[in-house]
Amino acid sequence: MPSDELTEKSTAGASPVRYAGATKRYPGSAKAAVEELTLEVPAGEICVLVGPSGCGKTTAMRMVNRTVEITEGDIFIGEQSVRERNPAQLRREIGYVIQQIGLFPHRTIAENIAAVPQLLGWNKERVAARSAELLALIGLDPDLADRYPAQLSGGQQQRVGVARALAADPLVMLMDEPFGAIDPINRERLQNEFLRLQAEIGKTVLFVTHDIDEAIKMGDRIAIMREGGRVAQYATPAELLMDPADEFVEDFVGADRALKRLALMRVADIDLWKAPLAEVGQATAEVRAALEGAEVPYPLLVDDERRPLGWLSERDLAGGQVPARPDSPLGPLLDRDDIMRDALADLLQGEAQYAAVVDGEGRIEGVLSVEIISEFLASPEAKTEEHSATERPRE
Amino acid sequence: MTALILLHLPPGSIQGALEFIFEPQSSNVTGGKMVGGFDQTLELALTQLEVTIFALALSLVLALPAGLYLGHKGVGELLAVGLGNAGRAIPELALIAFMAAAIGVGTLNLTIALAVLGIPPILTNAFVGIRQVDRAPVEAARGIGMTEREILFKVELPLAIPTLMAGIRLATIAIVATATIAPLAGVLTLGDYIINENVYGENGVVAGAIVVAVMALTLELLLAALQRRLTSKGLKLSPA
Amino acid sequence: MSSPTLTLAAVGEVGKGFIHERTSETLPCQATEKLFCFDWAKENIDRYGTPTLQHLELVSLAVLFGFTIAFTLAVLAHRRRWLQSPLLAATGVLYTIPSVAFFFLLLPLTGRGVDTAVIALTAFNLQVIYRNTIVGLSNVPSSVKEAARGIGQTDRQILWRVELPLATQEIIAGLRIATVSTVAIATLAVFAGGGGLGAPILQGGIDFKTNIIIAGGIAILMALAFDLVLLTIQRLATPWERVARA
Repeated sequence: MPSDELTEKSTAGASPVRYAGATKRYPGSAKAAVEELTLEVPAGEICVLVGPSGCGKTTAMRMVNRTVEITEGDIFIGEQSVRERNPAQLRREIGYVIQQIGLFPHRTIAENIAAVPQLLGWNKERVAARSAELLALIGLDPDLADRYPAQLSGGQQQRVGVARALAADPLVMLMDEPFGAIDPINRERLQNEFLRLQAEIGKTVLFVTHDIDEAIKMGDRIAIMREGGRVAQYATPAELLMDPADEFVEDFVGADRALKRLALMRVADIDLWKAPLAEVGQATAEVRAALEGAEVPYPLLVDDERRPLGWLSERDLAGGQVPARPDSPLGPLLDRDDIMRDALADLLQGEAQYAAVVDGEGRIEGVLSVEIISEFLASPEAKTEEHSATERPRE
Repeated sequence: MTALILLHLPPGSIQGALEFIFEPQSSNVTGGKMVGGFDQTLELALTQLEVTIFALALSLVLALPAGLYLGHKGVGELLAVGLGNAGRAIPELALIAFMAAAIGVGTLNLTIALAVLGIPPILTNAFVGIRQVDRAPVEAARGIGMTEREILFKVELPLAIPTLMAGIRLATIAIVATATIAPLAGVLTLGDYIINENVYGENGVVAGAIVVAVMALTLELLLAALQRRLTSKGLKLSPA
Repeated sequence: MSSPTLTLAAVGEVGKGFIHERTSETLPCQATEKLFCFDWAKENIDRYGTPTLQHLELVSLAVLFGFTIAFTLAVLAHRRRWLQSPLLAATGVLYTIPSVAFFFLLLPLTGRGVDTAVIALTAFNLQVIYRNTIVGLSNVPSSVKEAARGIGQTDRQILWRVELPLATQEIIAGLRIATVSTVAIATLAVFAGGGGLGAPILQGGIDFKTNIIIAGGIAILMALAFDLVLLTIQRLATPWERVARA
C-alpha cells in the first residue's frame, strides 16, 4: 500500500491524452466507426472505455497509436499531435497490450520484454538491466527469463505482455481487453497486480473492456460508449453508479448498481451508529439510562479493552448488575476495513439486525445495520468517499 | 527400403557397380577405351551438384522475395498457390527437351530450365508460410512500433521457417532429380552413366543410380539439418 | 514392352543424347524450326495414342498401389504413434531418391519394363498420401471423437464412420498432389523401358518442338483431368464442406 508520501504521484512518466474531435470512417461505410470523439484523460489516470460490442471502443483506443488511422480530427499526447508523428516511432513510445497477448514465440521472455528497447537502440547492458527490473516488477521468477512463451501459462504470458509494454517507459499505455483471454481466477489476480503496479508507476492508461465490473474496478474514470464511439457518460465510477446520465447508461451499468456502489466502499467510509456500551458488573440502571434515546436499542457488552463480547437482552438487564454471559451471541463481527458489500452479505447471512464493527485491534468502533446502508444508498447527498482505482478496496 | 533391394541383388551387381564408381573399366563400344572410375564419376557428380546449386539459387532469388512480399501483404494468393499447383504438373522430360529446343543446350540454359521446376514450391511455401503465422504476434509487433520490414524479417520470417524450408527441400529434390537427365541437354551429369548403358554397361548404370540416390539423400539430410538449426527453439517446445 | 533403342551418333558427343527418328514425314516440320506445325500435328496425332495409354496405365497403377500402401500404413500409424516418425522417414527416403535412379537401382531385380517403372512411381507418391492421411486423421476434433465414444461406438466404428469421413478432404488433397506429380514424373518412365509419353519425346529429338509440345501438352492435360476428377470426387464425398462454403 502506498504510504502518504507517495500519494502525490509523480506524473513525470506519464502524459495526458486528449481526443479532439477524432473521427474514424471506413471507406464504404455510411456511419463512422468513431464519430468526433472528444475526451480528456488526465496524466497518470486509468481511463476505461467500455460499451457493447461494436461501439467503437477498441477503434477509439487504437487511434491513439495509429494502428487505426484517424480520418478527421486529432489526438494529442501531451502537446503533441499523433498525426504529425511517424507511426512506427510513435508506437515505440506507447505501451500496447492486446487480448491475445501476442508474445513472440520464437524469442525468450527476456527478448520479448527487450523488444522496444532494442528497436530504440539501447545498449545491451541497459536492456538487460531493464528486463530484469521489469520481471521483478511484474512478479515473475527471474529464472523464467530464458524460457519461451510456450512454456508459460496464459496468466504468466500476459504479465510478460504488460512488461513488454512498459519496457521503454512509455508515456501512455493502451490496453485492449488485456485480461479477456485469461480464466476468471487469474484475471482477478492480474487486475489486482496491475493496480498495484500502477500505484508505483502511475502511467496514463487507456483500458478497453466490455465488462462493466472490470471497468468499475480498474477505472479512475470511465467512458461509457455507444455506437459510433459516442460517449454516453464520462465520469468516475461513483458518479456513474449514483447518477447514470440516461437509460442506456443505467442499463449498461446494471440493475444492481447499488450493490456495485457498495463494492467501492469500506465499512469505515460510512457514519456508523453508536450502541450503548456495557461492562461486566456494571450497574444495570446505568445501562438502562444510556439506552434512552440511543441510536441502537440494544446494549453491547464489551470487555475492559472495549472488545465486544455479545449483545444484552431485556432479561440480562433484569438483575442489578450486568452479567458476564450475555443472552444473545455476538453475531456477525465486522472490521472497519471490510468491503461494504461483503459486510452487507454478512449481515444478511447472520440474520442479524445489527453488527458490531471493530478496528484493527478488535476494539469497538460502531454498529452497522442494513438500515444504515439503505439510508445511505437512498440519500442523494451521500458522497462515496472517492478512492482512486489503485486505492480502492480489493480482495 | 533401398537397403532391402540392394540385399537381394546378386552380389556381383553391387560389387560391380561399386567397382565402377572407383575404378575405370574397359568399355565395349569405345573399342577398349576406359570408362568409369573415380575421376569421371566425381566430375559428373560435381557437375550435377553445380547445376543443382545454381538452379536452386536462381529459384530462390526469383521466388523467395516475391513469396515473402506477397505473403506479408496478403495478396496474390491465386498466383502464389496456383503457380505451385501448376508447377507440379510440369512434365520433367518435356521441360528439359523443350528448353533445349527453345533456348539451346548448355549449362546456363539448363539452369534456367531447372529453375522453372524450383520456383513453384518455393513461391508457394514462402507465401503460405508467412500467411499462416499467428496473427497475434504480428499485431503486437506492429503495435509496439516495428516497421513493416522489421515485422517481416524479425517476426514473420522466423516463424515461417518450417514451411519455407519444406518448400526449399521440395525444390531441391525436384531439381537434383531432373538434373540427372541433363545429358539430354548437353550437360554431362550422372545421368550419362544411366542413360547410356551400351557405353557404360550394366555396372555403370547401377553405379550412376547409386551415386544419384546418395547425392539426393545427402542433400535432403543437409537441408533437414539446416532447417533444424534455423527453427527457433521456442517453436519446437511443448508447454511446460 | 521393348525399350526404345538408344543409339548415340558418337560416343562423347555432347547434346546428341536424343535419338533421332528422322522420317520423311517429320523432316519438313523439323526443318522449318517452327514452334508448332498444325498440319503435322493433325496428320500424326494418332501416333500418340499408344504412349498416352501407356502413360495412363503407368499412372493409374502407381497411384492405386501407392494409395493402398500409404493409406494402410497411415491408418496403422494413426493408432500407434511410435510408428509415425519412422514411416514418415521411410516414405521420405523413397520420395527423395530420384525416380530415374530408382529405375536403375531396381534394374538387377526387375529388369526393364513397366513393372520397374510402376514400382518406382509407386515409391515416389507414398509420402504425400501417407502424410496427408495422417494429418487429416489427427485433425479430427477430439470433441467429435469423444462424442462418438460416448454414444457407444467402438474404435473401429469411430475410425470408419467418423475419423475417415472427416479426413477425406485432406486425404483426397494428398491424392491430387500425388497424382499430378506422378503424371509429370512418369514422362521419365521411358528410361526404365516402361513407355509412356516420354517415348515420343525421346524419339523425336531436341529440335522437334511440335512433337515435344504435343507429348508434353497431353501429359499436362492428363494431369489436369485427373486433378479435376479427384476434385469432383472430393466435393461429392464431403457435402458438409460444401454447405460450410456456401
